[in-house]
Amino acid sequence: MKLPKKWLGEYVDLHISNAEFIEKMMWRGFECAGVEKELSGVEGIVVGRILSVAKHENSDHLQVCAVDIGSEVLTIVTGADNVFSGALVPVAVVGSKLGGREMAAVNMRGVMSYGMLCSGSELGLTNADYPGSEVHGILILKEDYPLGQPIEIALGFDDEIFEFELTPNRPDCISILGMCREAAAALGQSFREPKIRPVKGEGNAADYAKVSIENYDLCPRYTARVVKDIVIEPSPTWMQKKLKSVGMRPINNIVDITNYVLVEYGHPMHAFDLACISGSHIIVRTAHENEVVTTLDKKERPVTPDMLLIADEQRGVGIAGIMGGLNSEITDSTKAVLFESAVFKGSNIRATARKLKHVTDAASRFIKGVEPVGAELALERAIELVSELKAGTVVGEMIDIRKEKPADREVTVSVEHINALLALDLSAKKMADMLETIDIHARPVPGGLHVTIPHFRTDIESGIEADWDVAEEIARIYGYYNIQPTLMRGDTFRGQINESFLLEDQIKDTLVSLGLYEMYNYNFTSPSVFDALLLPQDSELRNAVRILNPFGEDQSLMRTTLVPGMLDSLVRNANRKSKHLRFFEVGNTHVETGADLPEERKKIGVILGDETADFYQLKGIIEELFRVLGVSGETYRQSNASYLQPGRAAEIVVADGTRFGIFGELHPDVAASWKADGRVYLAELDVGAIAGERNSHKRFVPLPRFPAAERDLAVVVDASVPSAYLKRVIEAAASEVIVSDVRLFDTYAGFGIPAGKKSLAFSFALRAEDHTLTDEEIKHGMDAIIDSLKAIGAPLRA
Amino acid sequence: MGMMESLAQLREEAEARLKSCQSPEDLEQALVDVLGRNGSLTTILRTMGKLASEERASVGAFANKVKAALEATVAEKRAALNEVAKQKRFESEALDVTAPGALCSPLGRLHPMTQTYREIRNVLIGMGFSMFDGPEIELDDNNFTMLNLPKDHPARDMQDTFYINENVVLRTHTSPCEIRALTTLKPPFRLLMPGRVFRVDEVDASHSPVFHQIEGFVVDKGLTLGDLKGILDAFVHAVFGENVKTRLRPSYFPFTEPSGELDVSCSICGGKGCRVCKGTGWIEILGCGVTNPHEIANCGYDPKVWTGLAFGLGVDRMANLKFGINDIRLEYENDARFLRQF
Repeated sequence: MKLPKKWLGEYVDLHISNAEFIEKMMWRGFECAGVEKELSGVEGIVVGRILSVAKHENSDHLQVCAVDIGSEVLTIVTGADNVFSGALVPVAVVGSKLGGREMAAVNMRGVMSYGMLCSGSELGLTNADYPGSEVHGILILKEDYPLGQPIEIALGFDDEIFEFELTPNRPDCISILGMCREAAAALGQSFREPKIRPVKGEGNAADYAKVSIENYDLCPRYTARVVKDIVIEPSPTWMQKKLKSVGMRPINNIVDITNYVLVEYGHPMHAFDLACISGSHIIVRTAHENEVVTTLDKKERPVTPDMLLIADEQRGVGIAGIMGGLNSEITDSTKAVLFESAVFKGSNIRATARKLKHVTDAASRFIKGVEPVGAELALERAIELVSELKAGTVVGEMIDIRKEKPADREVTVSVEHINALLALDLSAKKMADMLETIDIHARPVPGGLHVTIPHFRTDIESGIEADWDVAEEIARIYGYYNIQPTLMRGDTFRGQINESFLLEDQIKDTLVSLGLYEMYNYNFTSPSVFDALLLPQDSELRNAVRILNPFGEDQSLMRTTLVPGMLDSLVRNANRKSKHLRFFEVGNTHVETGADLPEERKKIGVILGDETADFYQLKGIIEELFRVLGVSGETYRQSNASYLQPGRAAEIVVADGTRFGIFGELHPDVAASWKADGRVYLAELDVGAIAGERNSHKRFVPLPRFPAAERDLAVVVDASVPSAYLKRVIEAAASEVIVSDVRLFDTYAGFGIPAGKKSLAFSFALRAEDHTLTDEEIKHGMDAIIDSLKAIGAPLRA
Repeated sequence: MGMMESLAQLREEAEARLKSCQSPEDLEQALVDVLGRNGSLTTILRTMGKLASEERASVGAFANKVKAALEATVAEKRAALNEVAKQKRFESEALDVTAPGALCSPLGRLHPMTQTYREIRNVLIGMGFSMFDGPEIELDDNNFTMLNLPKDHPARDMQDTFYINENVVLRTHTSPCEIRALTTLKPPFRLLMPGRVFRVDEVDASHSPVFHQIEGFVVDKGLTLGDLKGILDAFVHAVFGENVKTRLRPSYFPFTEPSGELDVSCSICGGKGCRVCKGTGWIEILGCGVTNPHEIANCGYDPKVWTGLAFGLGVDRMANLKFGINDIRLEYENDARFLRQF
């Protein structure tokens, strides 16, 4: 919302700095995004008088002027031919700025020019702003301004425009009057809304036009007035200047009046050429099937039966609340006009604007909310201006079609409750006085405050929300900064980090302590990643949730796996020559299941991509994580995950069949798709599965009291035998002694080992709980282990 | 030469030899030569048996004196030589302490956002908050309608939404957790609800379509706007330090009333005004307010009995401010050089 300082000054005495004003408005809930100058890009241009004009010795078209700017006389070269001795002109002196460019002294064919004489267009002026602005050449000033005076002050273009960001609950402030009301209150001044002088026209409006509403739900009120004997001409300078100061382009007196009222009162209006309205009958109705309306911007817009039209007896003459029709546009030959000021249902206009992809200024006002009293005020104000500008002859009185007469809304709010919400102790009288400053009339009544909600405050409810609505007004006026911070009283609570969040902390802390950096990747993914991961067509990971309005196809799905995001980040790091290529991520994935909401699965991703990484390092990380989390008894088996290299892929399961996830080396074809150099190892684990299996209450196991005998042995087995199988055999072999800490410490195949076989070397400890083992007992234990191994085809290595 | 003279001479010679030793080995050899089984002193003493008894007593006493003196000299010399040897070792083993340390198993790094989230969380836990979780893909009802944002409410345009279908959205804020809490838990409660949220925002230095929020939600009897200010001040000071100033100014959200936005004095320029705070000296970090009565009523509670206080803060922005990160994109690029700094 643009609020020009001069316009504001018509209602408010702005005796403080811009910064102070902006801060006061901020405390009222109005954030100022910036202050602009009326003549944008003009800085340091001053009034000067040309003392002499001489032909440039080295040029046919250049002239050398001596220009008096009050403080000194400058030599300035100009190419314009309308300059003359004695002329008063705008001078861009050295160091001044024009359109963001700073003036410098320049050598023009041997003559130093200390500045530039400006044309009207260079200053952004039109003939309407200042007569003669559009002539070809330098702007010759008409009046005797003091030499050296800044041009914007001399010409009266020294306004500043505040740009306020409004919250959606205050549509009443998308208007100069609404802002001035709040500004006056913020400054402790009283605001008097200008009184509109009603104009009673000649004759009877009904003789000229008729209005019918077919759908009161979408159009609760339609007011209109007729003006005849229209003279289309430019609007007066003061009006054009004000419109331009809020960024509007003047068009002609009639259109400018509707725009002016829109800015002043915030209510959108429209003017129809009455001669183009068939039967002089405005019908507010929904569109018919296959109807098309050509709007003022000359676009043919197909409309649908859910959209509201303004029509005459034959065709649409406008799309309600969006834009008028080209067929009833005001032209230079318009003789009679029907001014429309109506209320259209915001949600319907919102839907229409979205469907047509055309959110006009008018539409956005209807969407934010307009009200029936405002409609009437705007219309009467427009007619007042018509009369003031002598733009035509006003006919009769207002045509007012509506179902119900707009009535004041009244509500009684609880002073006690408002004080309780705000931690204040204000009397009902005090509250009433505060509300009065923003034109909300209230009076104390037994048990509360009786409030008359002003017509323009559509955000204040008379229902359940009223206490809170009024409390908000009181808080704004009292000042949030005056409310003391307190610590909550009452019952105390046991604060706690719940189990699932603690688990996540533990996972992250463990992986960090194992040397991994934490990643945060986006949830969006491309449909192409599934093929890139070589996923089978029936893979569950292809059941991704699709976003209806994504940024692009490559970000149109919600990730079903962390793998693509991790690969992207890893490759990006590798390309940046990072030495550190070890990461993890804990994040959600989603799988479409057909239920109301997709299934959300939290996963752990780990990725290793540096030269020293290998499969067993990754497995070591996973195992250590499980130990810390209290997971035990998991088993590992070959996995056929499509994006892992066959034979270097493992799946982790527990006895009840729960799958924790998979890990392994990235398939070379997948690595190629991601342009990943070198080998990449990655894991993806399911947090939910781990949470269900872990034992977070760890129990102490007494330390052994007697020393163990440490032994090792090597066996030869078929190359395909998993070492974990042998480990289990060793652990279970001896019944008399305890076999513990079984560890595979060497795997060997090659010279001395038959083809298709491998040698596995294990170390382990033998012990008893209640004594130190004798040599005899150790020998029995070893024999039992060797026999068991032999029995499954794993003889000792010779 | 008498025995006494021999002993005196021996003592003189032995002292000289011991003192001249240059290494522990020299010293040990000298010790053997003088005091050893076949050493010169021992040899002299062996002849003592031939002396008359009264002479033997005086010679013996003198001999013991000589022996003790020599032993003292040896001890002294040994200590001195050890000291020299130690000094030599220290010199030869001196290290370049400015050379870099070696890590046997380097630590990883927690993402700065995780660190920031935990810091905020810990303050709130200390104030009696518990944690509550909700899904990233949400029902439109929970994300909007129940929060007093029915379909076609103009304020829906405040948050550009990714839709899955007519009734399902990527949650645009953590506030739908409020609805889940109110419909599954019984007040009073103090909850904090962290999570990812999504908005149709093109990526630039200060916008990301994916970001993180922490929702604080307290429902109890008799809560006030002052209590809300108290909670916010507490964690802002915990995260940014006691010297940071806060400013709660009026704003609007459909699900709170009165509503506010909290600014903190710019940590980059200290409030003087800079590029990060756009010259204002203040940076907005969260939106908050007293829970709108419609929301409480929508969930089946009487808003005149139960008051809610709610706030939703951007973890990304908090992390950026805390660490002086000037581009939100860095948070999601996972550049190891970036992550290593935290």
